[in-house]
Amino acid sequence: MDQLLDRPEFQSAVIPFVVALLLYSGLRKLTATAWVWAIFAAFLVSAGLINGFILTPLTGTRKIILLILGALILAGLAPYLIRQLKLQSAVAPVLTILALIWVFGKVVARLDLTGIALFLIGGVGLVIWLLWAFDRIAGSDAQLHGAGFSLMLGIGLSATAAASALLGQIALSLAAASGGAFLAWVLQGKAVNSGKASASIATLPYVLSAALIGIAAVIFARLPWYALIPLAAIPLATSLIPVKFESRFLNALLSSLPGLVIALGVAFWVWQTSSSSSSGY
Amino acid sequence: MKKTILLASIAALSVNTLQAANYTVDPGHTYVSFAINHLGFSTMRGKFDKQSGSLSYDPAAKSASVTIEIDAASIDTGHDKRDEHLRSPDFINAVEHPTITFKSTKAGWSGDKLSSVTGNLTIMGVSKPVTLKVDSINCGEHPFNKKQVCGFDATGSIKRSDYGVNYGLPAIGEVLDLQIELEAFKD
Repeated sequence: MDQLLDRPEFQSAVIPFVVALLLYSGLRKLTATAWVWAIFAAFLVSAGLINGFILTPLTGTRKIILLILGALILAGLAPYLIRQLKLQSAVAPVLTILALIWVFGKVVARLDLTGIALFLIGGVGLVIWLLWAFDRIAGSDAQLHGAGFSLMLGIGLSATAAASALLGQIALSLAAASGGAFLAWVLQGKAVNSGKASASIATLPYVLSAALIGIAAVIFARLPWYALIPLAAIPLATSLIPVKFESRFLNALLSSLPGLVIALGVAFWVWQTSSSSSSGY
Repeated sequence: MKKTILLASIAALSVNTLQAANYTVDPGHTYVSFAINHLGFSTMRGKFDKQSGSLSYDPAAKSASVTIEIDAASIDTGHDKRDEHLRSPDFINAVEHPTITFKSTKAGWSGDKLSSVTGNLTIMGVSKPVTLKVDSINCGEHPFNKKQVCGFDATGSIKRSDYGVNYGLPAIGEVLDLQIELEAFKD
Protein backbone atom coordinates (compact mmCIF):
# COMPACT_ATOMS: atom_id res chain seq x y z
CA MET A 1 0.00 0.00 0.00
CA ASP A 2 2.80 2.40 0.97
CA GLN A 3 4.50 1.69 -2.34
CA LEU A 4 1.31 2.63 -4.17
CA LEU A 5 1.05 5.88 -2.23
CA ASP A 6 4.62 6.76 -3.20
CA ARG A 7 3.82 6.52 -6.91
CA PRO A 8 3.18 9.90 -8.59
CA GLU A 9 0.25 8.60 -10.64
CA PHE A 10 -1.56 7.62 -7.45
CA GLN A 11 -0.59 10.78 -5.57
CA SER A 12 -1.69 13.21 -8.24
CA ALA A 13 -4.22 11.32 -10.36
CA VAL A 14 -6.02 8.29 -8.90
CA ILE A 15 -6.37 9.42 -5.27
CA PRO A 16 -7.53 13.02 -5.85
CA PHE A 17 -9.90 11.84 -8.58
CA VAL A 18 -11.57 9.24 -6.34
CA VAL A 19 -11.70 11.50 -3.26
CA ALA A 20 -13.33 14.33 -5.20
CA LEU A 21 -15.77 11.98 -6.93
CA LEU A 22 -16.94 10.50 -3.64
CA LEU A 23 -17.06 13.78 -1.75
CA TYR A 24 -19.02 15.65 -4.39
CA SER A 25 -21.54 12.82 -4.36
CA GLY A 26 -21.78 13.01 -0.58
CA LEU A 27 -21.91 16.80 -0.28
CA ARG A 28 -23.96 17.92 -3.25
CA LYS A 29 -27.24 17.85 -1.35
CA LEU A 30 -25.75 19.77 1.56
CA THR A 31 -24.06 22.76 0.01
CA ALA A 32 -23.91 24.71 -3.22
CA THR A 33 -20.14 24.71 -2.99
CA ALA A 34 -19.88 20.91 -2.87
CA TRP A 35 -17.44 20.92 -5.78
CA VAL A 36 -15.13 23.33 -3.97
CA TRP A 37 -15.02 21.17 -0.83
CA ALA A 38 -14.60 18.02 -2.89
CA ILE A 39 -11.60 19.54 -4.68
CA PHE A 40 -10.25 20.96 -1.40
CA ALA A 41 -10.29 17.58 0.34
CA ALA A 42 -8.86 15.79 -2.69
CA PHE A 43 -6.09 18.35 -3.09
CA LEU A 44 -5.30 18.31 0.64
CA VAL A 45 -4.81 14.54 0.56
CA SER A 46 -2.80 14.78 -2.64
CA ALA A 47 -0.60 17.63 -1.38
CA GLY A 48 0.06 15.65 1.80
CA LEU A 49 1.23 12.68 -0.23
CA ILE A 50 3.35 14.79 -2.59
CA ASN A 51 4.84 17.21 -0.08
CA GLY A 52 4.28 15.47 3.25
CA PHE A 53 2.67 18.50 5.00
CA ILE A 54 6.13 19.97 5.44
CA LEU A 55 6.23 23.76 5.47
CA THR A 56 9.91 24.45 6.17
CA PRO A 57 11.69 25.70 4.25
CA LEU A 58 8.70 27.70 3.04
CA THR A 59 9.64 27.49 -0.64
CA GLY A 60 7.63 29.04 -3.45
CA THR A 61 6.12 25.64 -4.22
CA ARG A 62 4.92 25.20 -0.64
CA LYS A 63 3.50 28.72 -0.62
CA ILE A 64 1.58 27.79 -3.78
CA ILE A 65 0.10 24.71 -2.08
CA LEU A 66 -0.99 26.81 0.93
CA LEU A 67 -2.49 29.49 -1.28
CA ILE A 68 -4.46 26.99 -3.37
CA LEU A 69 -5.89 25.46 -0.19
CA GLY A 70 -6.70 28.97 1.09
CA ALA A 71 -8.40 29.92 -2.18
CA LEU A 72 -10.54 26.77 -2.04
CA ILE A 73 -11.57 27.48 1.57
CA LEU A 74 -12.45 31.06 0.64
CA ALA A 75 -14.45 29.96 -2.41
CA GLY A 76 -16.27 27.43 -0.24
CA LEU A 77 -17.12 29.87 2.54
CA ALA A 78 -17.56 33.17 0.68
CA PRO A 79 -21.16 32.54 -0.44
CA TYR A 80 -22.11 32.20 3.24
CA LEU A 81 -19.73 34.69 4.86
CA ILE A 82 -19.46 37.52 2.34
CA ARG A 83 -22.98 38.45 1.41
CA GLN A 84 -22.13 41.36 -0.87
CA LEU A 85 -21.38 40.13 -4.36
CA LYS A 86 -19.41 43.29 -5.16
CA LEU A 87 -17.09 42.61 -2.24
CA GLN A 88 -16.67 38.99 -3.36
CA SER A 89 -15.79 40.20 -6.85
CA ALA A 90 -13.13 42.52 -5.49
CA VAL A 91 -11.57 39.89 -3.25
CA ALA A 92 -10.52 37.51 -6.05
CA PRO A 93 -8.23 39.80 -8.12
CA VAL A 94 -6.74 41.47 -5.04
CA LEU A 95 -5.94 38.15 -3.38
CA THR A 96 -4.50 36.62 -6.55
CA ILE A 97 -2.18 39.56 -7.12
CA LEU A 98 -1.10 39.56 -3.46
CA ALA A 99 -0.44 35.84 -3.81
CA LEU A 100 1.79 36.49 -6.84
CA ILE A 101 3.77 39.04 -4.83
CA TRP A 102 4.16 36.68 -1.86
CA VAL A 103 5.35 33.75 -3.97
CA PHE A 104 7.53 35.56 -6.49
CA GLY A 105 8.37 38.88 -4.79
CA LYS A 106 11.82 37.86 -3.54
CA VAL A 107 12.85 36.44 -6.89
CA VAL A 108 11.45 39.33 -8.91
CA ALA A 109 13.18 41.86 -6.62
CA ARG A 110 16.52 40.50 -7.88
CA LEU A 111 15.61 41.23 -11.51
CA ASP A 112 16.48 44.40 -13.38
CA LEU A 113 13.77 46.97 -14.11
CA THR A 114 12.87 45.37 -17.44
CA GLY A 115 12.44 41.99 -15.76
CA ILE A 116 10.27 43.48 -13.03
CA ALA A 117 8.15 45.29 -15.61
CA LEU A 118 7.74 42.10 -17.67
CA PHE A 119 6.71 40.16 -14.57
CA LEU A 120 4.18 42.81 -13.56
CA ILE A 121 2.69 43.10 -17.04
CA GLY A 122 2.70 39.35 -17.64
CA GLY A 123 1.57 38.29 -14.16
CA VAL A 124 -1.13 40.88 -13.62
CA GLY A 125 -2.24 40.57 -17.26
CA LEU A 126 -2.60 36.80 -16.89
CA VAL A 127 -4.66 37.16 -13.71
CA ILE A 128 -6.99 39.79 -15.23
CA TRP A 129 -7.38 37.75 -18.40
CA LEU A 130 -8.17 34.52 -16.55
CA LEU A 131 -10.69 36.27 -14.28
CA TRP A 132 -12.41 37.79 -17.30
CA ALA A 133 -12.39 34.57 -19.33
CA PHE A 134 -13.63 32.42 -16.45
CA ASP A 135 -16.25 35.04 -15.62
CA ARG A 136 -17.91 34.34 -18.97
CA ILE A 137 -18.46 30.67 -18.11
CA ALA A 138 -18.96 30.82 -14.35
CA GLY A 139 -22.73 30.44 -14.74
CA SER A 140 -22.39 27.03 -16.39
CA ASP A 141 -21.16 24.14 -14.23
CA ALA A 142 -20.22 22.17 -17.33
CA GLN A 143 -18.15 24.97 -18.86
CA LEU A 144 -16.55 26.10 -15.61
CA HIS A 145 -15.33 22.64 -14.63
CA GLY A 146 -14.61 21.57 -18.21
CA ALA A 147 -12.32 24.58 -18.63
CA GLY A 148 -10.84 24.26 -15.13
CA PHE A 149 -10.06 20.59 -15.61
CA SER A 150 -8.47 21.14 -19.05
CA LEU A 151 -6.47 24.18 -17.92
CA MET A 152 -4.97 22.42 -14.90
CA LEU A 153 -4.25 19.33 -17.01
CA GLY A 154 -2.47 21.45 -19.62
CA ILE A 155 -0.43 23.33 -17.03
CA GLY A 156 0.39 20.12 -15.16
CA LEU A 157 1.57 18.19 -18.21
CA SER A 158 3.50 21.18 -19.57
CA ALA A 159 5.19 21.87 -16.23
CA THR A 160 6.16 18.22 -15.93
CA ALA A 161 7.63 18.24 -19.43
CA ALA A 162 9.48 21.50 -18.73
CA ALA A 163 11.56 20.04 -15.87
CA SER A 164 9.53 20.37 -12.68
CA ALA A 165 7.70 17.22 -11.72
CA LEU A 166 6.72 18.81 -8.41
CA LEU A 167 4.85 21.75 -9.96
CA GLY A 168 3.43 19.37 -12.54
CA GLN A 169 2.12 17.04 -9.86
CA ILE A 170 0.43 19.90 -8.00
CA ALA A 171 -1.40 21.02 -11.14
CA LEU A 172 -2.25 17.46 -12.16
CA SER A 173 -3.70 16.66 -8.74
CA LEU A 174 -5.99 19.69 -9.12
CA ALA A 175 -6.93 18.50 -12.61
CA ALA A 176 -7.71 15.02 -11.24
CA ALA A 177 -9.73 16.46 -8.34
CA SER A 178 -11.63 18.71 -10.71
CA GLY A 179 -12.19 15.77 -13.06
CA GLY A 180 -13.53 13.63 -10.20
CA ALA A 181 -16.00 16.31 -9.09
CA PHE A 182 -16.91 16.90 -12.74
CA LEU A 183 -17.69 13.22 -13.32
CA ALA A 184 -19.82 13.15 -10.18
CA TRP A 185 -21.70 16.18 -11.54
CA VAL A 186 -22.26 14.36 -14.86
CA LEU A 187 -23.56 11.27 -13.06
CA GLN A 188 -25.66 12.94 -10.36
CA GLY A 189 -26.32 16.54 -11.29
CA LYS A 190 -26.05 19.94 -9.76
CA ALA A 191 -25.47 20.70 -6.11
CA VAL A 192 -28.24 22.33 -4.07
CA ASN A 193 -28.61 26.09 -4.33
CA SER A 194 -27.68 27.96 -1.20
CA GLY A 195 -25.74 31.12 -0.55
CA LYS A 196 -24.71 33.49 -3.28
CA ALA A 197 -21.40 33.42 -5.05
CA SER A 198 -20.01 35.99 -7.44
CA ALA A 199 -18.49 34.66 -10.62
CA SER A 200 -14.98 35.66 -9.64
CA ILE A 201 -15.05 34.07 -6.18
CA ALA A 202 -16.39 30.84 -7.72
CA THR A 203 -13.58 30.77 -10.23
CA LEU A 204 -10.86 31.97 -7.82
CA PRO A 205 -9.36 28.50 -7.17
CA TYR A 206 -8.86 27.87 -10.91
CA VAL A 207 -7.58 31.39 -11.63
CA LEU A 208 -5.18 31.48 -8.69
CA SER A 209 -3.88 27.93 -9.25
CA ALA A 210 -3.36 28.44 -12.97
CA ALA A 211 -1.61 31.79 -12.51
CA LEU A 212 0.67 30.65 -9.69
CA ILE A 213 1.67 27.27 -11.10
CA GLY A 214 1.97 28.60 -14.66
CA ILE A 215 4.22 31.50 -13.65
CA ALA A 216 6.23 29.29 -11.27
CA ALA A 217 6.84 26.82 -14.11
CA VAL A 218 8.18 29.73 -16.19
CA ILE A 219 10.29 31.37 -13.47
CA PHE A 220 11.47 28.40 -11.38
CA ALA A 221 11.64 25.81 -14.15
CA ARG A 222 11.94 26.08 -17.92
CA LEU A 223 8.40 26.37 -19.26
CA PRO A 224 8.54 28.83 -22.18
CA TRP A 225 6.43 31.86 -21.18
CA TYR A 226 4.57 31.81 -24.49
CA ALA A 227 3.20 28.33 -23.67
CA LEU A 228 0.94 30.12 -21.18
CA ILE A 229 -0.80 32.06 -23.97
CA PRO A 230 -2.68 29.11 -25.56
CA LEU A 231 -3.26 27.61 -22.11
CA ALA A 232 -4.80 30.87 -20.88
CA ALA A 233 -7.09 30.79 -23.91
CA ILE A 234 -8.76 27.57 -22.66
CA PRO A 235 -11.63 29.24 -20.73
CA LEU A 236 -12.33 31.54 -23.67
CA ALA A 237 -12.29 28.62 -26.13
CA THR A 238 -14.67 26.74 -23.82
CA SER A 239 -17.08 29.69 -23.79
CA LEU A 240 -17.32 29.71 -27.59
CA ILE A 241 -19.22 26.42 -27.72
CA PRO A 242 -22.79 26.76 -26.43
CA VAL A 243 -23.79 23.90 -24.13
CA LYS A 244 -27.50 23.89 -23.56
CA PHE A 245 -28.36 20.28 -24.19
CA GLU A 246 -30.55 18.15 -21.97
CA SER A 247 -27.78 15.62 -21.56
CA ARG A 248 -25.21 16.53 -18.90
CA PHE A 249 -22.82 14.09 -20.51
CA LEU A 250 -23.03 15.90 -23.85
CA ASN A 251 -22.62 19.27 -22.16
CA ALA A 252 -19.58 18.00 -20.23
CA LEU A 253 -18.04 16.51 -23.36
CA LEU A 254 -18.48 19.66 -25.43
CA SER A 255 -17.22 21.84 -22.58
CA SER A 256 -14.08 19.80 -22.12
CA LEU A 257 -13.14 19.15 -25.74
CA PRO A 258 -11.74 22.55 -26.80
CA GLY A 259 -9.69 22.83 -23.62
CA LEU A 260 -8.43 19.27 -23.86
CA VAL A 261 -7.30 19.77 -27.47
CA ILE A 262 -5.38 22.91 -26.47
CA ALA A 263 -3.99 21.40 -23.25
CA LEU A 264 -2.75 18.22 -24.88
CA GLY A 265 -1.42 20.13 -27.90
CA VAL A 266 0.58 22.55 -25.75
CA ALA A 267 1.86 19.75 -23.50
CA PHE A 268 2.97 17.72 -26.53
CA TRP A 269 4.72 20.75 -28.03
CA VAL A 270 6.50 21.56 -24.72
CA TRP A 271 7.51 17.93 -24.35
CA GLN A 272 8.87 17.87 -27.90
CA THR A 273 10.84 21.10 -27.54
CA SER A 274 12.24 20.38 -24.11
CA SER A 275 12.96 16.67 -24.42
CA SER A 276 16.57 15.62 -24.47
CA SER A 277 18.18 14.35 -27.64
CA SER A 278 20.05 11.71 -25.69
CA SER A 279 18.52 8.73 -23.95
CA GLY A 280 16.99 9.80 -20.64
CA TYR A 281 18.96 10.62 -17.51
CA MET B 1 61.51 56.74 23.03
CA LYS B 2 58.22 57.49 21.30
CA LYS B 3 59.77 56.38 17.99
CA THR B 4 60.82 53.08 19.53
CA ILE B 5 57.32 52.42 20.86
CA LEU B 6 55.80 53.25 17.48
CA LEU B 7 58.20 50.91 15.66
CA ALA B 8 57.53 48.15 18.19
CA SER B 9 53.78 48.61 17.71
CA ILE B 10 54.10 48.41 13.93
CA ALA B 11 56.26 45.29 14.25
CA ALA B 12 53.76 43.65 16.60
CA LEU B 13 50.90 44.50 14.27
CA SER B 14 52.80 42.98 11.34
CA VAL B 15 53.42 39.75 13.27
CA ASN B 16 49.72 39.56 14.19
CA THR B 17 48.74 40.12 10.58
CA LEU B 18 51.11 37.38 9.47
CA GLN B 19 49.71 34.97 12.06
CA ALA B 20 46.04 35.57 11.25
CA ALA B 21 46.56 35.19 7.53
CA ASN B 22 43.48 35.77 5.42
CA TYR B 23 43.11 34.25 2.00
CA THR B 24 40.67 34.71 -0.87
CA VAL B 25 39.46 31.64 -2.73
CA ASP B 26 40.93 31.14 -6.20
CA PRO B 27 37.86 30.07 -8.24
CA GLY B 28 40.09 28.61 -10.96
CA HIS B 29 41.54 26.05 -8.55
CA THR B 30 38.56 25.41 -6.32
CA TYR B 31 36.21 22.52 -6.94
CA VAL B 32 33.02 21.66 -5.09
CA SER B 33 31.81 18.31 -6.28
CA PHE B 34 29.34 15.69 -5.15
CA ALA B 35 28.47 12.06 -5.68
CA ILE B 36 25.13 10.35 -5.18
CA ASN B 37 23.75 6.89 -5.71
CA HIS B 38 21.72 6.65 -8.90
CA LEU B 39 18.79 4.22 -8.66
CA GLY B 40 20.99 1.70 -6.89
CA PHE B 41 22.99 1.04 -10.03
CA SER B 42 25.93 3.39 -9.95
CA THR B 43 27.33 6.61 -8.55
CA MET B 44 26.42 9.84 -10.30
CA ARG B 45 28.89 12.69 -10.01
CA GLY B 46 28.53 16.42 -10.46
CA LYS B 47 30.14 19.71 -9.53
CA PHE B 48 29.47 23.41 -9.22
CA ASP B 49 31.29 25.61 -11.70
CA LYS B 50 31.14 28.94 -9.82
CA GLN B 51 32.15 29.55 -6.24
CA SER B 52 33.88 32.17 -4.13
CA GLY B 53 34.94 32.48 -0.54
CA SER B 54 37.61 33.15 2.00
CA LEU B 55 39.94 31.29 4.31
CA SER B 56 41.61 32.35 7.50
CA TYR B 57 44.42 30.06 8.66
CA ASP B 58 46.74 30.35 11.62
CA PRO B 59 48.28 26.98 12.58
CA ALA B 60 50.38 28.51 15.38
CA ALA B 61 47.25 29.73 17.14
CA LYS B 62 45.28 26.69 15.97
CA SER B 63 42.75 28.99 14.39
CA ALA B 64 41.09 28.44 11.05
CA SER B 65 37.87 29.43 9.37
CA VAL B 66 36.46 29.06 5.90
CA THR B 67 33.50 30.51 4.04
CA ILE B 68 32.42 29.23 0.65
CA GLU B 69 29.60 30.64 -1.47
CA ILE B 70 28.44 28.48 -4.33
CA ASP B 71 26.34 29.61 -7.27
CA ALA B 72 23.54 27.00 -7.21
CA ALA B 73 22.72 27.55 -10.88
CA SER B 74 26.25 26.51 -11.86
CA ILE B 75 25.49 22.85 -11.07
CA ASP B 76 27.05 20.69 -13.74
CA THR B 77 26.65 16.94 -14.14
CA GLY B 78 27.70 16.90 -17.78
CA HIS B 79 24.11 16.60 -19.02
CA ASP B 80 22.25 19.85 -19.82
CA LYS B 81 18.75 18.45 -19.47
CA ARG B 82 19.51 16.85 -16.12
CA ASP B 83 21.18 20.05 -14.91
CA GLU B 84 18.02 22.00 -15.78
CA HIS B 85 16.02 19.54 -13.72
CA LEU B 86 18.46 19.78 -10.80
CA ARG B 87 18.05 23.60 -10.84
CA SER B 88 14.24 23.30 -10.73
CA PRO B 89 12.02 23.23 -7.59
CA ASP B 90 12.27 19.43 -7.68
CA PHE B 91 15.83 19.70 -6.40
CA ILE B 92 17.82 22.81 -5.40
CA ASN B 93 15.45 25.47 -6.74
CA ALA B 94 18.32 27.65 -7.97
CA VAL B 95 16.14 30.59 -9.00
CA GLU B 96 14.56 30.97 -5.58
CA HIS B 97 17.69 30.01 -3.62
CA PRO B 98 20.59 31.10 -5.81
CA THR B 99 23.38 30.61 -3.27
CA ILE B 100 24.58 27.59 -1.33
CA THR B 101 26.88 28.57 1.53
CA PHE B 102 29.21 26.90 3.96
CA LYS B 103 30.38 28.93 6.96
CA SER B 104 32.70 27.23 9.40
CA THR B 105 32.13 27.51 13.13
CA LYS B 106 34.80 25.21 14.52
CA ALA B 107 38.15 23.79 13.41
CA GLY B 108 39.60 20.46 14.49
CA TRP B 109 43.38 19.97 14.71
CA SER B 110 45.73 17.03 14.54
CA GLY B 111 49.00 18.40 15.87
CA ASP B 112 49.57 21.60 13.98
CA LYS B 113 47.57 20.46 10.95
CA LEU B 114 43.94 21.27 10.35
CA SER B 115 42.05 17.96 10.38
CA SER B 116 38.38 18.96 10.24
CA VAL B 117 36.11 21.91 9.74
CA THR B 118 32.63 22.02 11.22
CA GLY B 119 30.19 24.62 9.98
CA ASN B 120 26.73 25.41 8.73
CA LEU B 121 25.84 24.36 5.22
CA THR B 122 22.86 26.29 3.85
CA ILE B 123 20.90 24.83 0.95
CA MET B 124 17.47 26.15 -0.07
CA GLY B 125 17.46 28.41 2.98
CA VAL B 126 17.97 25.52 5.41
CA SER B 127 21.12 25.59 7.54
CA LYS B 128 22.45 22.38 9.06
CA PRO B 129 25.76 21.64 10.77
CA VAL B 130 28.21 19.62 8.69
CA THR B 131 31.69 18.39 9.48
CA LEU B 132 34.21 18.21 6.65
CA LYS B 133 37.25 16.00 7.12
CA VAL B 134 40.36 17.80 5.92
CA ASP B 135 42.48 15.19 4.15
CA SER B 136 45.37 17.52 3.41
CA ILE B 137 46.27 21.18 3.82
CA ASN B 138 49.39 22.95 2.67
CA CYS B 139 50.46 26.56 2.59
CA GLY B 140 53.46 28.15 0.93
CA GLU B 141 54.72 30.26 -1.89
CA HIS B 142 53.18 29.66 -5.29
CA PRO B 143 56.02 28.55 -7.57
CA PHE B 144 54.95 30.72 -10.51
CA ASN B 145 53.37 33.93 -9.25
CA LYS B 146 55.27 33.91 -5.92
CA LYS B 147 52.11 34.74 -3.95
CA GLN B 148 51.37 33.01 -0.66
CA VAL B 149 48.79 30.31 -1.22
CA CYS B 150 46.95 27.74 0.90
CA GLY B 151 45.15 24.71 -0.40
CA PHE B 152 43.18 21.88 1.14
CA ASP B 153 41.19 18.81 0.19
CA ALA B 154 38.14 18.03 2.31
CA THR B 155 35.32 15.51 2.27
CA GLY B 156 31.99 15.11 4.01
CA SER B 157 28.47 13.89 3.52
CA ILE B 158 24.96 15.18 4.05
CA LYS B 159 21.42 13.83 3.93
CA ARG B 160 19.64 15.77 1.22
CA SER B 161 16.23 15.37 2.86
CA ASP B 162 17.57 17.46 5.78
CA TYR B 163 17.50 20.38 3.35
CA GLY B 164 14.08 19.65 1.90
CA VAL B 165 15.50 18.12 -1.28
CA ASN B 166 13.20 15.10 -1.31
CA TYR B 167 12.53 14.49 -4.98
CA GLY B 168 13.13 10.93 -6.17
CA LEU B 169 13.68 9.47 -2.70
CA PRO B 170 14.53 6.70 -2.10
CA ALA B 171 15.35 5.70 -5.69
CA ILE B 172 17.86 8.52 -6.06
CA GLY B 173 20.23 8.38 -3.11
CA GLU B 174 19.57 10.15 0.17
CA VAL B 175 23.24 10.62 1.11
CA LEU B 176 25.25 13.11 -0.89
CA ASP B 177 29.03 12.78 -0.62
CA LEU B 178 30.77 16.13 -0.84
CA GLN B 179 34.30 16.78 -1.97
CA ILE B 180 35.93 20.17 -1.79
CA GLU B 181 39.35 21.00 -3.23
CA LEU B 182 40.21 24.60 -2.50
CA GLU B 183 43.08 26.98 -3.16
CA ALA B 184 43.18 30.51 -1.83
CA PHE B 185 45.67 33.37 -2.23
CA LYS B 186 46.77 35.45 0.68
CA ASP B 187 45.16 38.90 0.74
